[in-house]
Amino acid sequence: MTPLIQLTNLTKTLKGQGEPRSILSGVDLTLHAGESVAILGRSGSGKSTLLSLIGLFDRPDGGQYLLGGSDITRVPERRAARLRSDEFGFVFQRFFLLKHLSAAQNVAMALVNGQGWLPRRKRKATVMAALERVGIAHLAKHKPPRLSGGEQQRVAIARALVREPKVLLADEPTGALDTETGALVIDALHSATDRGCGLILVTHDHAHANRMQRVVRLADGVLVTERQGVFP
Amino acid sequence: MGLSGRFRSALIIGGQGVRARKLRTFLSMISLFLGVLAVVTVQAGAEIANRALLADIELTRGKDGTIQVGLPQHEQTVPIAVDTLRGQSDAVAAVSTQAVIGEPGVTPINEGGVPFEYAGQSVGRGQYYCDGRGACYSVESTEAPAPPGKAIELQIVGLTGDIRPFRPFYAEAGRWLDFSGEPSLSPGLVLNREAAKGFGQYRVPAEMRITGASVNSTPRILGVVHDGQSRPVAYVRADELDNWLPAANGNSGASSHLYLSPSATRLEQTLNGRLAAAGVPMEQSYRDVVNSKERIGGQLALMRLIFLGMAALVLLIGVAGILNVGLATVGERIEEFALRRAVGTPRLLLAGIVLAETLIIGLLTAAAAVGVGVAGLEAAELLFGSREPMLQGVQFPWQAGVAGVIAGLVAGVLGGLLPAIRAARIPIATVMRA
Ligand SMILES: Nc1ncnc2c1ncn2[C@@H]1O[C@H](COP(=O)(O)OP(=O)(O)O)[C@@H](O)[C@H]1O
Ligand SMILES: [Mg+2]
Repeated sequence: MTPLIQLTNLTKTLKGQGEPRSILSGVDLTLHAGESVAILGRSGSGKSTLLSLIGLFDRPDGGQYLLGGSDITRVPERRAARLRSDEFGFVFQRFFLLKHLSAAQNVAMALVNGQGWLPRRKRKATVMAALERVGIAHLAKHKPPRLSGGEQQRVAIARALVREPKVLLADEPTGALDTETGALVIDALHSATDRGCGLILVTHDHAHANRMQRVVRLADGVLVTERQGVFP
Repeated sequence: MGLSGRFRSALIIGGQGVRARKLRTFLSMISLFLGVLAVVTVQAGAEIANRALLADIELTRGKDGTIQVGLPQHEQTVPIAVDTLRGQSDAVAAVSTQAVIGEPGVTPINEGGVPFEYAGQSVGRGQYYCDGRGACYSVESTEAPAPPGKAIELQIVGLTGDIRPFRPFYAEAGRWLDFSGEPSLSPGLVLNREAAKGFGQYRVPAEMRITGASVNSTPRILGVVHDGQSRPVAYVRADELDNWLPAANGNSGASSHLYLSPSATRLEQTLNGRLAAAGVPMEQSYRDVVNSKERIGGQLALMRLIFLGMAALVLLIGVAGILNVGLATVGERIEEFALRRAVGTPRLLLAGIVLAETLIIGLLTAAAAVGVGVAGLEAAELLFGSREPMLQGVQFPWQAGVAGVIAGLVAGVLGGLLPAIRAARIPIATVMRA
C-alpha cells in the first residue's frame, strides 16, 4: 500500500538575520491513510517548521517528499496552493479565524478559495455538516469574539475538515485551552481518522499524544520513534 | 467552471474585505475624492481659462489668420479706404475717432474716453488720447479746461462692412449695424458694454460732437455688443459717420485700421496702389497676421503644465492618505492573506482581488469627483452666468474628466496595491508559526 506521506532525509536550514541555522537535518516520516502520529519535542526544536514543510507552506532544502507516491519536493507555488486546498487541513494553536466573519463564513473560507466552486445552497449545507461534526452547528452565525476558545478551535477544525482533506495537520491545537476543552478538541480531530484521514498532531501534552497510534520526538533535527504504532 | 469559480470566489472575498474595512474604504475614498476633484477642477479651470483667453484675443485682435493693416494718417487715407472697401465682404476698414455725446462745451465725465471706473481721475492739464490700436497717450493741453458737465467721451468706429467675421462680438441687446441700403442721416450706433454702462449711469443729452466735425448730430442707439474692450466704444456705418466728417478737410484725429481675410490679397494690392498714388506714405503702414493660437500656445502649454503640476501634488497627497490608511491595516491584511493562502487560495487571485477592489474604489471615486465637477460648473453657470460671460455656455472639458479617471485609477493602484503586495510577499510559514 502506498503511504499517504513519505518523507526521506528531509532537511531545512533557516536563514534569519544571523547565521543560517540548520533546523531539520534529516527527517524520515511515513504516514498512512487513517493513521495518527503525535510529534513531541522541546520548544524551538523545529516542529512547526516540519509541519510547514508537510503542509506546503514552505519547501525543504534537501531530501524527498512523496505525497501519495508522487514527488512534490519542489512543487511550484500554483500547484502547492491547489494541494493545500484539496489534500490538507490545518489547525493552529492561535485559531486564526477572521474576526469580521461569522463561524459559518470562516468555515466557508476554505470552500471560497478559487479552487472549484460550490453553489450557495450546497456550500451552506456542506458548511453546516462540518460544524455539526464538531458539535457547534448552533453557533454558525456567531462571530469569533463571541465564542469561547474551545468553540473557536472547533470552528477552525470544521474549516480544516470541510473539504474532506487526506491529511490533517494540527500544531499545538490545545495549547491555548484548558485540559477539559482540549480533550474535546482532540476528540474532534481524532474522529477524522475514522474516515481515512491521516492526522499529525504536534503537542506538549503526553495524554493527548498517547491517544495517537504512534508517537515520535523531534530532537537535534531528526525524528526519533518513541512508541511504535500498530501499523506495519 | 474553473474561471467562473475563481471569479465568484474573488467577488465574495473582495466583498468581505470591503465590508470588513468600511471605515478604511471610506477614508481612502475621501482622500482620493479630494485629490481627483482637485485634478478635475484644475483641469477644467485651465481649459476654461484657455478658451476665455483665446476668445478674448479673438474679440480684440481678430480670429486667427486675419490680416491686420494699420494705415498712416493722411487726409486721403480715410476717403480712399472707405471708397475701396465699400460693399466688400472679405475686408473691412475701421475708422476710429473720438467723440463726445452730451452737453456741448463741457469737459466729459470720462475725459479722454477712459473706462468709467477711472472717470474724473485725470486731474488737471493732462488729456488722454487713445488711438485705433488701443494705445492711450497723455497729451499736454495749454488751453484752460472747459467746465465739467453731463457728457461722455467715447471712441467712434466707422465700419465699411460687418466686422464680426473677423472679431466675433457677442450680441448683448438690440441689433447690430445694417450695412444694406442707404446711410441714414442720423447715425445708428451700436455701443460696446462699457459705453452702454456710461449711458446707463449718467443721464446725458443725446447730442454727439465728433472731433473736427462741423455739425452736431443726434445719434440713435441700435444695440449693445461685447467687444472685449474696457473703454467705451460705439460702432457706426462708415458712410453714416461720413456725413458728419468733413472728408475733404482731413481729420487728423482719425486712424484707419483694416481687417482682411487671407484671400483678400488682390483687394489689398488695389488699395495700397490707390493710397500710394494719392501720396499716402505707405512705408509708415504696418501689417500683421493674427496668429494667437500659435503665439500664445507656448504660454498656454506652460500654464497647463503648472496647473497639472499643482493637481499632481494634490493627488499625491490623496495617494499618501490612501497609502497611510492602507499600510496601517497591513498587519491585519498579512494575517488574512496568509490564512487564505493556507486554505489554498492562489496568491495571484488575492493580488487580483485587491487590485480590482482598489480599481473599483478609484473609478467610483473619480466618477463621483467628475460628477461633482460637472454639477459645480452647471451651478456656477446658473448662478453667475449672467454676470460672467466666461461661464456662459461653458462645457465641462472632457480632458478634465479623463484626467480625473486616470488620476483615480493611478491613485487606487498606488494606494491599494502596494500594501497588498507587501502583505502577499510574506511567507505563510512566518505568519502561521507564531
Ligand atoms: N523566520 C525565522 N527565521 C529564522 N529562524 C526562525 C524563524 N522562525 C523560527 N525560527 C527558529 O527556528 C527554530 C524552530 O522553530 P519552530 O519550528 O517554530 O519550533 P517549534 O515549533 O518546535 O517550537 C527556532 O529556534 C526558531 O527560533
Ligand atoms: Mg511551534
